[in-house]
Amino acid sequence: MSHNAKKRIVCVGNRYRPEDSAGPMVYDQLVSDRLPRDIEVIDGGLAGLNLLRFIHGADRVVFIDAVNGFGPSNGVIVLDAKDASRHADTIFGHSAGLSYCLRVLPEVHDGKLPEIFVVGIEGTTDPDIILKAASMSLKIAAEGYSLK
Amino acid sequence: MNHPKTKIINAPLNRVEGDLEIRVRLEDDRVSEAWSVGVMFRGIENMLKNRGPLDGLVITPRICGICSTAHLTAAAKALDAISGAEVPANAIVVRNLALMAEHVQSDMRHGFLMYMADFANSAYSKRPLYDEAVKRYEPFKGKTVIDVIKRTKEILEMVAIFGGQWPHSSYMVPGGIASNPNMNDIMQCKYLIDKFASWYEKRILGCSLQRWLNVQNGADLDAWLDESESHHNSELGFFIRYARDIGLDKIGQGHTNFISFGQLDLPENSKVMGRSQNSHFLIPAGFARNTEIEPFDQKKIFEHVAFSWYADDNGGKHPFSGETHPYATGEESEKYSWTKAPRYDGAPAETGPLAEMIISGHPLFTDLVNTTGSSAFVRELARLTRPAELIPAMKQWIMELNPQEKFYAHSPDITDGEGFGLTQASRGALGHWVSISDKKIVHYQIITPTAWNGSPRDADSIRGPWEEALIDTPVKDSENPVEIGHVVRSFDPCLVCAVHAIQGKKENIWKI
Repeated sequence: MSHNAKKRIVCVGNRYRPEDSAGPMVYDQLVSDRLPRDIEVIDGGLAGLNLLRFIHGADRVVFIDAVNGFGPSNGVIVLDAKDASRHADTIFGHSAGLSYCLRVLPEVHDGKLPEIFVVGIEGTTDPDIILKAASMSLKIAAEGYSLK
Repeated sequence: MNHPKTKIINAPLNRVEGDLEIRVRLEDDRVSEAWSVGVMFRGIENMLKNRGPLDGLVITPRICGICSTAHLTAAAKALDAISGAEVPANAIVVRNLALMAEHVQSDMRHGFLMYMADFANSAYSKRPLYDEAVKRYEPFKGKTVIDVIKRTKEILEMVAIFGGQWPHSSYMVPGGIASNPNMNDIMQCKYLIDKFASWYEKRILGCSLQRWLNVQNGADLDAWLDESESHHNSELGFFIRYARDIGLDKIGQGHTNFISFGQLDLPENSKVMGRSQNSHFLIPAGFARNTEIEPFDQKKIFEHVAFSWYADDNGGKHPFSGETHPYATGEESEKYSWTKAPRYDGAPAETGPLAEMIISGHPLFTDLVNTTGSSAFVRELARLTRPAELIPAMKQWIMELNPQEKFYAHSPDITDGEGFGLTQASRGALGHWVSISDKKIVHYQIITPTAWNGSPRDADSIRGPWEEALIDTPVKDSENPVEIGHVVRSFDPCLVCAVHAIQGKKENIWKI
């Protein structure tokens, strides 16, 4: 199955583990609404290193994931690929997730790298936070984001 | 009187799916005792109770992001059995191809991204092949690491083509598959298989599949290694040279009992044949003590909980009657793992590619186990060369798919009853045992490969397979016990599957 949209939102996490369920919750929120035609929303689940598949051919990719230790608790933050991968495990494991994937991306990607952002949800997953993350991810996917 | 120098080390294995801790006692710098501790409770069996019969197809592929297709296969086969569904040949082939894509990807990633990462450990900085190992396996940069990531991300496109997504796809259903691949889909998959096969021959083997399949015994293996530069310097050739140099052929023997549930059903009229003439699988089911193979009967499987944090009959229950009741009060004395202890005919058994090779009667691996014994080296060699067993069948099966024929046969309603789905995940034997009553799941038990390999002791206090394999392993530096990693990782542990999320207490940590 190929992903044709140039702008993608990839929601990452495990919906059966509350502390890792933020991404899937944002996915459910996004697909419950009408989406812009040029943005594809993908359930990235526990794809780990195979998240690379969702980057190929895109111009801009926004990942949504639960994060820990990047900012104040109970908030939504935006990171670039470099920041998000700073604490990647140095060696691959089955549980290698988004951070490993983003760290290795420049070495394994063929062609021009797309713009990549990570919308991180720190702490709580209450409905307002999920709604805020969904809204931010749509805006970033459509327009990009300045991290300055 | 000289007393042995004794030390206990507690080693969490990162690079394992989920959390695993290995506790070992060292006496005179050798492992004298070992305990395998699964530190997470999974409980997925309990989540499935009182749900609809088809829910296992959606929930169990999400147990693990690595073995997703294997869980879907087992869940679908259990429902096939309960409903009495006849699965058309096309659907059997698609199910097989998806599982094989998952295997060949997993074998390469485990081998070169996880297992060989230890070859670049500083413990070996004085070894003659160390600098080359760093060039190949340095994290994020090693030329093999980068190449393996690039090539393996492509082959799983097959599962996405057949099933709409990977991981966590749910397209296998009782009676076949829910998609209808057309000729374009089939040709895309053929292209992916051919591309992977070509890369595997050139880069991993350094020879054709046929040349490799002519390696029939240990002497052939030595001759193959010395035959050409391309063999010597291939990834497989380098693995063999490095593994022997650091002594992987002398550690990690274990019980030498092997189990395979069998996998990859042979459809009628297919030209694909397995090594065993008496099996309806490409990879047969069986149990072996050393290389003596016995017929397989799932009724001989029992799970013990004497040393596991569960309340149940310590002496073991068949998965149709076993329960998942966590019991960890702090007063349980001997219990030390969230993993149960599966046993076959009362015996522990290791599972995985080496077990598949032995039970298939593969001449090379039968010879190696008979002459040099099992070891971390033989176990990993089996994993790295399993794609050579699978690729010829993948090439044949993709051409046998006929888009004009059906991929789904109407399945009878899932009535009350019980059934099991057995297959081989990339790491070994995987089974789902399911009971349905009043159109609801009333019982679901899953036994995973790592439950077999990483089990704690059973009711007779017999160690689990990698606990046993660790015994007598020399550890040169207890601050960097890389040898323990070699042994345990040769089983390719996957604890998210194995344990039934609680973060374990981590004190006195030595990272492997």
